[in-house]
Amino acid sequence: MHPTIENAKRTVDQAELYWNRSHSIAVRYENYRLQQVTENDVSETSLRVIKDGKIGSAYAVFPDQEGFLDNAITGAEYGDPAQLSFAGSADYPDLPSYDEDTAQLQSAELIEVCETIKSKLQKQLPDVALGIGADRAKTELTIQTSNGADAKAKSTEAGYYFGAPFQGAGTGVYKFQSSIAPPLVSDRLLDEFVEWYRWGNHTSTPSTGRLPVILVPQAAFLMMMPLLAGVSGDAVWKKTSPLTSRVGEQILSEKLTIHDNPLLAGNTDARTFDDEGVPCGKHVIVEDGVLKDFLFDQRMGAAMDRQSTGNGFKRTMFGSGNETAINPWFCCPTIEPGDTSWRDLVKGIKEGLLITGGMGFHSGNYPQGQFAVQAVGFHIVNGSVVGRLDKTMISGNIYKDCQKIGAISSETGPCGGFLPLGEAPYILIDSLQVAGK
Amino acid sequence: MKSTFANVVSSLPAEYADLRFEENRKIRIAYEGKELTQVATTLTSGGHVRAYANGGKAIASFSDPGRAGPIAEATCSSATLVGNSREKKLEIATAPVITEDFLITPTRDPRKVSLKEKLDLATYYNEIILKNPNVITTQTMYDEFTSRRIFVNSDGSIIEYELVNVGVFGMIVTKKGDVVQRVRFAFGGNTDYTPLLNREEDLQKQIAKACELLDAEPAKAGVYPVVLDPSESGVFIHEAFGHLSEADGLQNNPSFRAKLQLGKTLGKPILNVTDDATLPGLSGSYRIDDEGVRGMRTPLITDGVLSGRMHSRETAAEFDEPLSGNMRAVDVQFTPIVRMSNILIETGDSTFDDMVASIDKGYYLVGAKGGQTSGDQFTFGAQWGYRIENGKLGNMVRDINMSGELFSTLQATSMIGNDVKFGERGGCGKGGGGPIQMNRKSGKGSPHIKIDAVTIGGI
Repeated sequence: MHPTIENAKRTVDQAELYWNRSHSIAVRYENYRLQQVTENDVSETSLRVIKDGKIGSAYAVFPDQEGFLDNAITGAEYGDPAQLSFAGSADYPDLPSYDEDTAQLQSAELIEVCETIKSKLQKQLPDVALGIGADRAKTELTIQTSNGADAKAKSTEAGYYFGAPFQGAGTGVYKFQSSIAPPLVSDRLLDEFVEWYRWGNHTSTPSTGRLPVILVPQAAFLMMMPLLAGVSGDAVWKKTSPLTSRVGEQILSEKLTIHDNPLLAGNTDARTFDDEGVPCGKHVIVEDGVLKDFLFDQRMGAAMDRQSTGNGFKRTMFGSGNETAINPWFCCPTIEPGDTSWRDLVKGIKEGLLITGGMGFHSGNYPQGQFAVQAVGFHIVNGSVVGRLDKTMISGNIYKDCQKIGAISSETGPCGGFLPLGEAPYILIDSLQVAGK
Repeated sequence: MKSTFANVVSSLPAEYADLRFEENRKIRIAYEGKELTQVATTLTSGGHVRAYANGGKAIASFSDPGRAGPIAEATCSSATLVGNSREKKLEIATAPVITEDFLITPTRDPRKVSLKEKLDLATYYNEIILKNPNVITTQTMYDEFTSRRIFVNSDGSIIEYELVNVGVFGMIVTKKGDVVQRVRFAFGGNTDYTPLLNREEDLQKQIAKACELLDAEPAKAGVYPVVLDPSESGVFIHEAFGHLSEADGLQNNPSFRAKLQLGKTLGKPILNVTDDATLPGLSGSYRIDDEGVRGMRTPLITDGVLSGRMHSRETAAEFDEPLSGNMRAVDVQFTPIVRMSNILIETGDSTFDDMVASIDKGYYLVGAKGGQTSGDQFTFGAQWGYRIENGKLGNMVRDINMSGELFSTLQATSMIGNDVKFGERGGCGKGGGGPIQMNRKSGKGSPHIKIDAVTIGGI
């Protein structure tokens, strides 16, 4: 055990140490030009204590920093009674998370990755203001408690992205890929980027009314973030969730099965333990459209007389990391794929939208399942894309509009937006409200 | 420590280098409903170094101050590597050398207020909200951030400066049947503790709105003329125009750079927009930025014409435009990026009643609820609104998001009120090519304005 835990045990009832050390390198190109190299070598740590039955917390750079334990104890003096106990010792599942080749990557090799992307795209799209980036990080995360939890993970992450705004427009196309191993540039992603970018050479505004809409994997957050807000144990406990008493009921289309799968192999957000040192495992949230369970961290589990589901993470919609309070949150959300090609979904639409993103999501009443966003994506007419969306908003409520899902694609991709890196297919929603012409 | 860091940057084989070292303290007290979920103190420190060498640029953050020297040398080598691949070398605009300290002395310094008093204040406001029978939960937070920073650069600047930001803010959540509504409140948001006190009346107004919203009707989707209250129009000018006036976003975007040449007419002659770090007592006010340049007033739109923009030393050189002192980093893990200080639409001569009277069918939108922008596209929400029918305010509406395109919307801004007001709590998220930095110190001000056509998302 770290000396901070040993010291804490002399003066408090329970203690929990979170310590994250990371070294990362990132290179960034703007408009096909290498703009900047960034290197970060940082440590961050947090301490929660329970003293006289009350909980307090403190944050610092290093665990042996002066005042760290004292600040947590001061917090506990004023804190509320703690219902939770910190995690005890546990066996954690095995999951490959570290690759020595990735750990050794330097900026020159990341520049090579970007140059590969640049050389392939510049020939086809020379006049595009293409941004490219590549990065690698190695991280050591330790969570220890006075109750015996001793969770340690050493991980690597490498990835790249490329994207560009449409000529003279605010929206554009953006692709990314990451893994624990050194990045291999995907020709499929490059080809898809060129195809989608060219789709956006013209603008098109759909009619106002109800139209079929396909969410691409990166836009799955429009459905998944309201769902996360609804299945959070925190919202259920406060009764602000519209799902509070609906376990066992059909809340979405029977075509939708949704898990949280922290053990998703190769995924850079995969984890064997959460930020409280509780073991993680695959968890069914929605099965064939039926709500199966909620997400709990230690605090909400204790409040509702449940075990933590291993979903206590330092994450919120707008950030994550050391100083973020622990919340029930997805680790790697996954939506089960269907059996239709996404291109066939497009071909089957007389008039509709292919949505790649939505702006202003967080301004809506999403905890109640609602969203109203500026639509980013493409206009489909007679089974073909006719241009990028312009002056278009889409709005709806997932618990009404996602009852009728036309089809789900066989292909999956990484989720984007506000979600952790799970996997989602293309989802055809039969009818959504569109504000256009 | 200042001289050690100054020696580090001055000994680098770079055209320019700077180093910022900071010690930060945050206090956060949080209620969720009746539960006090957090009484936490954060003490962080660390450094950030930037080097321009061989016409290239590299940056690094580090936690251990003892490693400043080797990290700065490695950063300089990385900058040289970047420079090797650049035909067009990066340059830095000349800036005055400053050897001065900028410390803060608020009327009532939150650093001198006891933790107990801060907790009592948050508890008091939280209990006021919970007394209302329609309230099902709250989010009430006391948030204090103080930072003491040392900045040195290879030009010879050696500066010590402070940042202080304190506020109480949160969310009131009400419920009736299946309808759940949320209304925000915020007191303070600058360096002084005093504005956090005696705000019961303002809090009750927000509670009342959260209750009224339970009987409001959802907005109807479509394109409408709207009147925006100062909070909403402040967000509009921040999100839609302000971010496009930050030169780092234009630097490598040729099409927008062409669209935003100084001298271009963007709106009607009634439209004047300014960024001003020197206004006293606002959330986005400061005296020195994180690049060692003094905060200042920068006219952005004058009589409808683009007249200036916000810069770093790098972008000022690239655009051959004046320095503006807008480079800021939220903390040591981030590099400075170009950010608004206090952006405002200057006062006009219309009245609110004139604006409403000029609309046959539209909406009056009230209360900022966040927004998002990408290039010239923007979307933002309103906390509540009212129908306007035949020149008169009608029923209350809820669940409102609006979107549009900057250039046509600026041209469609047809009336500007005579009632400028600044929001108290600042806030802005921006990545600038890196991770998102959530900046507390970002002020927004405006009078009521009328826009002839925006798209409303609704049922």
